[in-house]
Amino acid sequence: MLSLSFSTFRDRWRLFAGAIVAVALGVALVQSSLLVMVSTDRAPVPPGASGRVREQIREGYAGAATLLGMTVMLSVFLTVFIVGSTFAFTVAQRRRDLALLRLVGGGRGQLVLLLLAEALLLGLAGTALGAAAGVPATWAQARLLIALGFLPDGFAPVLWDSGAAVASACVGIAVSLAGVLAASRRAAKVRPLDALRDTGASARVMTPMRWLSGVSGLALTVLMVALAQSAELLGAMMLALGISITGGVALSALSPLVVPLAGRALGVALRRSTLGEIAQANLRDGVRRSASTAAPLIVLVALLVGLAGTLGSLALMSGEEQRRLVRGDLVVESPGAAAERIAAVPGVAAASPEVTVPISVTARHHEEGRSWRRTHYSGIVAVDPPAYRRAHKVRLLAGSFDRLRGRTIALGPGMAAEGVRVGSTVTARVGGHAVRLKVVAAFVPTLENYSETFLVPRDVVPAPVRAGGEAQTVVRVAPGTEPAQVRERVRAAGLGRARTVAQWADARTAEQQRGNLGILAVLMGMAGGYAVVAVINAVVIAGTERRAEFAAARVAGMSRPQVVRAALVESWAVTAIGLVLGCAVAGGALSGMLAASLRGAGRPLVAVPWTLLAAVTVGAFAVTGATSVWTTFSATRPRPVTLLTTRE
Amino acid sequence: MTQLSGPPPARSAAFPIAAELRDVSRVHGSGSAMVRALDGVSLAFPAGSWTAVMGPSGSGKSTLLHCAAGLERVTGGQVFLAGQEITGAPDAVLTRLRRKKIGFVFQSFNLMGSLTAEQNVALPLKLAGVRVPRGDVRAVLEAVGLGDRLRHRPRELSGGQQQRVAIARAMVTRPAVLFADEPTGALDSASARTVLSLLRRMVDEEGQAIAMVTHDPAAAARADTVVFLSDGRLVDRLDRPTAAQVAERLARLEAAPC
Ligand SMILES: Nc1ncnc2c1ncn2[C@@H]1O[C@H](COP(=O)(O)OP(=O)(O)OP(=O)(O)O)[C@@H](O)[C@H]1O
Ligand SMILES: [Mg+2]
Repeated sequence: MLSLSFSTFRDRWRLFAGAIVAVALGVALVQSSLLVMVSTDRAPVPPGASGRVREQIREGYAGAATLLGMTVMLSVFLTVFIVGSTFAFTVAQRRRDLALLRLVGGGRGQLVLLLLAEALLLGLAGTALGAAAGVPATWAQARLLIALGFLPDGFAPVLWDSGAAVASACVGIAVSLAGVLAASRRAAKVRPLDALRDTGASARVMTPMRWLSGVSGLALTVLMVALAQSAELLGAMMLALGISITGGVALSALSPLVVPLAGRALGVALRRSTLGEIAQANLRDGVRRSASTAAPLIVLVALLVGLAGTLGSLALMSGEEQRRLVRGDLVVESPGAAAERIAAVPGVAAASPEVTVPISVTARHHEEGRSWRRTHYSGIVAVDPPAYRRAHKVRLLAGSFDRLRGRTIALGPGMAAEGVRVGSTVTARVGGHAVRLKVVAAFVPTLENYSETFLVPRDVVPAPVRAGGEAQTVVRVAPGTEPAQVRERVRAAGLGRARTVAQWADARTAEQQRGNLGILAVLMGMAGGYAVVAVINAVVIAGTERRAEFAAARVAGMSRPQVVRAALVESWAVTAIGLVLGCAVAGGALSGMLAASLRGAGRPLVAVPWTLLAAVTVGAFAVTGATSVWTTFSATRPRPVTLLTTRE
Repeated sequence: MTQLSGPPPARSAAFPIAAELRDVSRVHGSGSAMVRALDGVSLAFPAGSWTAVMGPSGSGKSTLLHCAAGLERVTGGQVFLAGQEITGAPDAVLTRLRRKKIGFVFQSFNLMGSLTAEQNVALPLKLAGVRVPRGDVRAVLEAVGLGDRLRHRPRELSGGQQQRVAIARAMVTRPAVLFADEPTGALDSASARTVLSLLRRMVDEEGQAIAMVTHDPAAAARADTVVFLSDGRLVDRLDRPTAAQVAERLARLEAAPC
């Protein structure tokens, strides 16, 4: 059986090439992710680092581990998907061969074994390639995580670990075998009679499983879009993520129905020319082929545009929120030492200096019956409570902001969900002294990721310590004075950089966006890589499958360039359909964000990632176009007669 | 019956009747779309005998062959293969029969495209888990005149050569009965003669049974018996036929008003 698998494999390597690349990618990514994790484990924190640096490194490692975990899961899922669709394709194509095997005495189990053995060969080939690619991948991944700020500069990953190599090889083979399962079940259903009769069963693309997942996914998506119209912001955001995923999966499962339907709409434009007419007819006829090209594009665009748009909109809204929380005209960023002098600048009616101070706070956290102590270093701000109250809209979950004086502390928006109790006592270490502070208030959380963790009255922190921090001062300008004048005076006095509240909020938004987009770029770049493999795979398989058809077209009088052009028009039409359907899903995802922002802010705050969309569009057309031209050219290289007379 | 598994392989002559249909009918579709492809057909394929099945297009010849081989379920009647009733047999039983007792040759699509001639011939035995001596495979391929084409893939062989590889495959397992559906349909007359001579030899030397569908009176004349089908019914029979007799009966059948 293995020798049979081997000869099939050798004969049809072109069909399996995409799946091998996918497995290799998966193995390389699993291996590199494991190695980076192993490295963070082995070289935890540089000796002699301050508490604050340690906290940052540890948080970076935690972030990196999350990202790596998601990377591994996504790549395993996508590899199974690609291997699965490749085998589904080859089983449909090899129906006659499989039936012939049954006819000469092959049992159902043997057919399943045959496909499993093929998958094993594929897995071994992919694993070997992936293990080799794993070394540069580890290096590249470490550089990327350093660039994103998750890993400290100078972090050097170990490049080889036998445990990681074994684990990733197991993943590679398991993934290939998992991918073949559905196809092998379908192969076992091939009847010996199918070798003699060309029964219609092979033409069935919409399997019951496909109907089930497509229709239920679509129903779920429609439900979620409806719910999102009246959900509050965080709900709308979760729904938007859900819609992007289920909508993309549903439409790609239903693509054998949806793509020809969309093709009919496109047909009006295509039918003007003869080649267009042929392309449109093929679009209707080659359902399996066009669907498998469109499906990965639908999923990719839905995920990419849906997620980027959702996170972008969230950042816009959090900028809006910051703008509304601050009551002032200018925000000045300066060293802590300069902050106190801003109030004295002519034209300043009120100033609220807020200094991020280098102290630590050790607090007791409670959650689900457990409790533990943790020391925090970042986001601790010293404020002048009365000035702060005038300069901000103070929204509290519990406690009273008026009691924030003397030896007290308030939980900032960044601590709202961490389980520290109002009324408890925390220990602050300020310049070498321990101070016990009573928690008197807790802020409502904001949409921001990196908000203030604690607010302390400034008397708690001695002036020299405050002077070493970074300050942000909210300034209200005296009536009759132009904010621009004050800005100029602040700058002239060398106190710091003054911006309007709007500018400051926008900068904070941009900061948030950068963090989000960095993570998104890693995950989506990877998904995009897989989508490219899947699309090329589909186009190549379809092209090889159609050699006889191309030959017939040429015998009927089409020139080779005309055949190539007709195929190109067809695959571009499929690409356009995939992109449009993906955008429809993303639109559904963002509609909830739109509704939430209209209700919350009174104006539409939706960030449509136009540049990303344009890049994906151009990239998709380039990739499908180039692949289609290449495969059609190589499929039409032999003279048509030789193709029409061979039979297998 | 215990002859189905394990060595020594039962000689085909162990069953005087290799395959038999008793009052078999096969109906496709229902209601107004109902087609009676076979209608109460009783027919035996004795060992050491070659039966040709003829009739107009759509008369049910292929259906008869498929039913006799257990590839298609019958709507009514009984089917026997190598002494065993297979009318409602499960897939595993039919699979085992296909390995040892049945061979197939058809007009085209006979071979696995990715395998060489040699591998194609050895395939049924390998699937049955029997070790195949390479010498046996070679001898059989030499017997059909393809000793120099062992390593060729089907696409590197002519239609007649492909057909001979398929016959070699059927010869190597020594099946009790060989089913052939228009085996010479796509061949020129010289290749057709070669193929028919090979079939004749299987019957005469190995005592195997052959059931062959054909449209060619000259091919049918090589058989021991010719039966004629029309609208799913057996309508005529000729023993020791000549090509002229066959052609004449066929012409009469095709001219008859339905
Ligand atoms: N799967 C099917 N569904 C419906 N009708 C069928 C099916 N298979 C065969 N038939 C019908 O059964 C009848 C007999 O078909 P069969 O293939 O046995 O004819 P044949 O004698 O082999 O014809 P030919 O010489 O053209 O090969 C035909 O009328 C055909 O239309
Ligand atoms: Mg027929």
